[in-house]
Amino acid sequence: MIPRFTHVLQLMKNVERNLFHMFGYHPPKELALAYVHEKKPVAIPKKFSLKDIVGDGFLLAVPKFRRTIEKKLKRKFGTPEYVWKMLVPKNDIKVCQTCGHHHEKRRLCENCYTKIKKETEEIQGQIKEKLGINPIEHDVVVLYKGETLPDQPKEFWKGKRIIEMKKERPQWFSKNLLEKTTQQPSKSTDVKPTDLA
Amino acid sequence: MNQADVSKLVSKLRVKVLPRHRNLPGPKGPEGRIDKLRKTVTGLIKFERIELNYNRADEARQYAERLISEAIRHGDCHKPTMDTADFWLLEKELVHKLFKVLVPRYESTNLSYTRLYNAPRPQYGRSLDKVVLELRGNPYPDLLNNKSNNRLLIQNVLLDAAKNEYRQTKIAEMAKNIGKVGATQNTDSKINEAHEKPNIS
Repeated sequence: MIPRFTHVLQLMKNVERNLFHMFGYHPPKELALAYVHEKKPVAIPKKFSLKDIVGDGFLLAVPKFRRTIEKKLKRKFGTPEYVWKMLVPKNDIKVCQTCGHHHEKRRLCENCYTKIKKETEEIQGQIKEKLGINPIEHDVVVLYKGETLPDQPKEFWKGKRIIEMKKERPQWFSKNLLEKTTQQPSKSTDVKPTDLA
Repeated sequence: MNQADVSKLVSKLRVKVLPRHRNLPGPKGPEGRIDKLRKTVTGLIKFERIELNYNRADEARQYAERLISEAIRHGDCHKPTMDTADFWLLEKELVHKLFKVLVPRYESTNLSYTRLYNAPRPQYGRSLDKVVLELRGNPYPDLLNNKSNNRLLIQNVLLDAAKNEYRQTKIAEMAKNIGKVGATQNTDSKINEAHEKPNIS
């Protein structure tokens, strides 16, 4: 009963208010909401650019994805069958029988080879100088300073080109221990100090 | 059965020949390859010892061997051989050298005419394998002078001297003890031991 009564009461109140409105009876202006009309400019959405963040600085490249453990290990150590990046001992080093330096197996000894190469180039230069522009028709015999032709019949030497080198035969050890060596004796006059300590 | 014996048509080379040639790539293609090889063969005949990359040396070596063996087989009165020599030797005075110097040198040998040595590699850094290519019987110092069995090698000379000295002392000792019974047999065995010491090798 009471809800119906209040509903009717509410309806009547509404009707009364609407009637007052129609004939110009408004509530006093002081009670009205204050409203200020303001027309805001519509913001244009800006495009994203890195410059806004970075400014004057610069960015470094960074990985995008995590590198897997397998890949990390492969990069670090390689593969034994293909490229093995670990340090492995080299077992093919030999000692030169002539000079005692080390060299790789099945390769010439570097120490001996540089010596021989230098000598070879000298002889080549000498041959070229001696020959000039003549046709090459004779074999070459190289003689060093103070050397004579080895014992051979005269026919053997016929038609051989003899190239004389302007120095003594390079020999680190001469045949006879009593023979003069190619190395000159030292001329230094330094005296070894005695009575020290 | 009415066929020529192939082995008698072509000189059998005394070096190993690969089943397929190397291309020696370059901008000029196959023609450039032949040019390179001609230069190398000419250089080899001229200087008798050259250092170069392995591939090119091994390839040029085969052509040089073939050229020399043809020259030995046919001599200088054979037109095709002369043409071959003319093609492969860019400096024409080397044609004289081929027939007048190299043919007599290699006529009676049954070894290859050239030798190929691996040159030492630099310790650090990467590089192509270098080799030394040379004609046998050249006037330059020998590249492999292994004198370990040479009696004039300083170690062998010193060892010989030491052995000799030891023997002398033993003989002197023996001479001293001569006549004393039982002492001679002992020294004899010691001398035998000294004889058995081998040379360095």
